Amino acid sequence: MSAVVREADRPVPTTTDSESAYLCDPDVQLMLRVKQGDEQAFTRLVSGYQDRLVSIFANLVGNQETAEDLTQEVFLRIYRARLGYQPNAKFSTWVFRIANNLASNSRRSRSRRKEVQLKTQESGPLGARPAEQLLADKSALMPTRLLDRHELQEHVREALETLSERQQMALLLHKFEGMSYVDIGETMEMSPQAVKSLLSRARESLRMRLESYVR
Amino acid sequence: MESFSRISPDQRANLTAYLDGELDEAETADIEKVLSRSSVARNDVELLARTYDLLDNLPRYQVTAAFTERTIATVRLELARPDISQTVWYRAAQHSFRPLLWCVMLFAASSIGYLITQAWVPNEADMLARDFDVIRQLDVYQDVGNVEFLDSLNRNQQLLQQIQEQSDAPARR
Repeated sequence: MSAVVREADRPVPTTTDSESAYLCDPDVQLMLRVKQGDEQAFTRLVSGYQDRLVSIFANLVGNQETAEDLTQEVFLRIYRARLGYQPNAKFSTWVFRIANNLASNSRRSRSRRKEVQLKTQESGPLGARPAEQLLADKSALMPTRLLDRHELQEHVREALETLSERQQMALLLHKFEGMSYVDIGETMEMSPQAVKSLLSRARESLRMRLESYVR
Repeated sequence: MESFSRISPDQRANLTAYLDGELDEAETADIEKVLSRSSVARNDVELLARTYDLLDNLPRYQVTAAFTERTIATVRLELARPDISQTVWYRAAQHSFRPLLWCVMLFAASSIGYLITQAWVPNEADMLARDFDVIRQLDVYQDVGNVEFLDSLNRNQQLLQQIQEQSDAPARR
């Protein structure tokens, strides 16, 4: 893991007025406590964001193990940047901006290594996990129905993979995090208008690929 | 007829934002007007919404408590591990390393250059030593004025020896 805190990951110092706008964000408050050396506050932040980050990373990189490594790197970067932290944005926006940078770097390095990804049906990391499998069995779903759901998940994932890296990230932030266009824009360093266009193209593309599954 | 009319590219681009509640009042009113009179647009919106709902099938993850502990432990390790790049000796070494590296590279380049010159570029003394025999006999060669004759003479050692003996004989007498 890199020992350097990326410049883009550093919270940019701004005026006190803009800082005060975000002081009501409870996660900003926790981060300010981390800045003061409160380890418990950091543990709470980790607990609050770990599942959300792993879910986004796993759907972006297609591998849970890599997703967990990347999530850990996000927290390390947050911790390294704690002393210079200024609440000039929502805490979640800052966290997912770091995640976005890491995901881009990870994709670039993986494409250089030409890493071979396992498909889900080959018991890859995105395949049904034992806990999910157990839950499905307990729910007494018919085998054919289960197969349909699994197939559908695979088709959705394949359709998502056909989108560009930025489209995927914007979609996942919108779907999983319920972020507004403004927040997605701040996270991905784009204007809300560009986010609107990006999401429109992404969803139009998904519609064309998945149309047969919604009719 | 109007209910089958196609929507403009701009309106189409706004459909997603409309579904997400990201349009301002005027744009929302515009889209709603289009939807009220175009079944094509209504169908498009319906498909977009239902396709988006399919993303609910994407897996969500829950990490174990061990992951949280591992993350906190990694951070603690980060705290415990001194950042050597911030130490005085590291910075001093970093400062002196670069000039030292330049000196070593300069020395290496000079040495290589000297060796190449020695091996490949002949100096004047070397050329003199190599051509000494020719220079010594230069007057004779110029008198003969025929390179082919001198060459064939050089190959005929017996004749050369005979000439040598004849030229030495008067000197002995």
